[in-house]
Amino acid sequence: MKQLHTFDDIFDTQKTFRLLLDAMANPSRVVSIQEGAEKLYGSKPEMLTLAMTLLDKNTGFYTFGHTELDEQILLLTHAEKKTLEEADYVFVTEEGHLPEAFAKAKRGTLENPHTSATLIIGCSGERNVSCSISGPGVDGVATFQSPAVLEEAFRLRTEQAYEYPQGVDMIFVSPEGELFCIPRMVKKEEQ
Amino acid sequence: MIDSYNYAFLDEGSKREIRRSILKAVAIPGYQVPFASRELPIGRGWGTGGIQLTLSLIGPDDTLKVIDQGSDESVNAVNIKKFVKMCTNVPCTTRTQDATIVQTRHRVPEVPMRNDQILVLQVPLPEPLRIVEPKEEVTKRMHAELDYAPIWLQLYESLVKYGKVTISTEYPCMVEDRYIMNPSPIPKFDNPKLHEAECLYLFGAGREKKIYAIPPHTKVVSLAFDDVPFEKENFKGKKCRLCGSTDTYLDEIYDAVTGERYYQCSDTSYCKEVRG
Repeated sequence: MKQLHTFDDIFDTQKTFRLLLDAMANPSRVVSIQEGAEKLYGSKPEMLTLAMTLLDKNTGFYTFGHTELDEQILLLTHAEKKTLEEADYVFVTEEGHLPEAFAKAKRGTLENPHTSATLIIGCSGERNVSCSISGPGVDGVATFQSPAVLEEAFRLRTEQAYEYPQGVDMIFVSPEGELFCIPRMVKKEEQ
Repeated sequence: MIDSYNYAFLDEGSKREIRRSILKAVAIPGYQVPFASRELPIGRGWGTGGIQLTLSLIGPDDTLKVIDQGSDESVNAVNIKKFVKMCTNVPCTTRTQDATIVQTRHRVPEVPMRNDQILVLQVPLPEPLRIVEPKEEVTKRMHAELDYAPIWLQLYESLVKYGKVTISTEYPCMVEDRYIMNPSPIPKFDNPKLHEAECLYLFGAGREKKIYAIPPHTKVVSLAFDDVPFEKENFKGKKCRLCGSTDTYLDEIYDAVTGERYYQCSDTSYCKEVRG
């Protein structure tokens, strides 16, 4: 029997989740999920690591027609392929898909804001833009080196003018497995 | 460790659902995220929300501390510790500084928590508006519409009747100027520790099937009026009979034989440490 991967469903998901939680609770903190990603396969193992950690039959996902990722997620997690408007987890593998992702992804409702989508955004490993953010999880204002796509994501998010608590949460992950999160309450500060 | 159960007792599907809910709770501080609370080998209302959070978080690199009303040795704490150890084999500690996850009922430890630690609180009644509105459907709408007038009225009525706000535990607080949240039955004394804290607070209500969170450095303000500020318990003139601390939360112990009242730290491990 061919073994597809060595990613452990119990311990590697736990480790990845804790890193993800650390990043979600402390926006601007960059964590590495590379250890888990190395045990997976395909062209987007870092995204597959997050899929293995978060997705199952009870969740819907969308990948903008990335056939390889679609097939791998279906095979490994049994999550349901949904439309962009219905997906709980939206995998944005190319920056060009961001405007559509923000325009159509679920934003939740005022009563049930948790029904919103989470955007998992592939980004470059080059973090050469200085970005300042504030909000829960950030001690005052934090300035960190971010990939260029974050700027665009903030711009598109602002365009949507979400009424809090509605909104989308963003997870940025690079091919090298470097990950950081921007939850919906975190704001960009002008430098 | 018992191998006949999955690691950390819960099946992976359950953990995943709880983990997804935790992430949403962190992203929307103070909002109660519903989750499918699982059956556990203890009754609902005995800390099952906290246990499910702990079991979904815990891994081989963790060190666990469990406290009940500040004590490491009370029945609830000891049994939860034994249960988690039985299905994970993680080391347990009584020293707050050594723990990566602290599960607690009704207290926040005296030792300030660090950013690399998570405090899991067991919550019996997560809904702060339940006291003024019995229907879940309505309280959800009230949260959505920021309609918090009834709870302010309740504070005001307490003030008019008794001359002060008489809520001692579960004192409601406003999170990031948006959600009124029940901080679980911690004493008012612990409420200020939630504000701009270093650590992540996770709240789990197993019976009521809700998870909510306060990330580090989050604004958490106990409800109060402009002219009647929030006041925590005052232990002026009293000290712990064992360690002599004057700045901790003290339990009052009454000796029925002698009629004597004395005080000691509710946080037993802190008290022991002070005594050396």
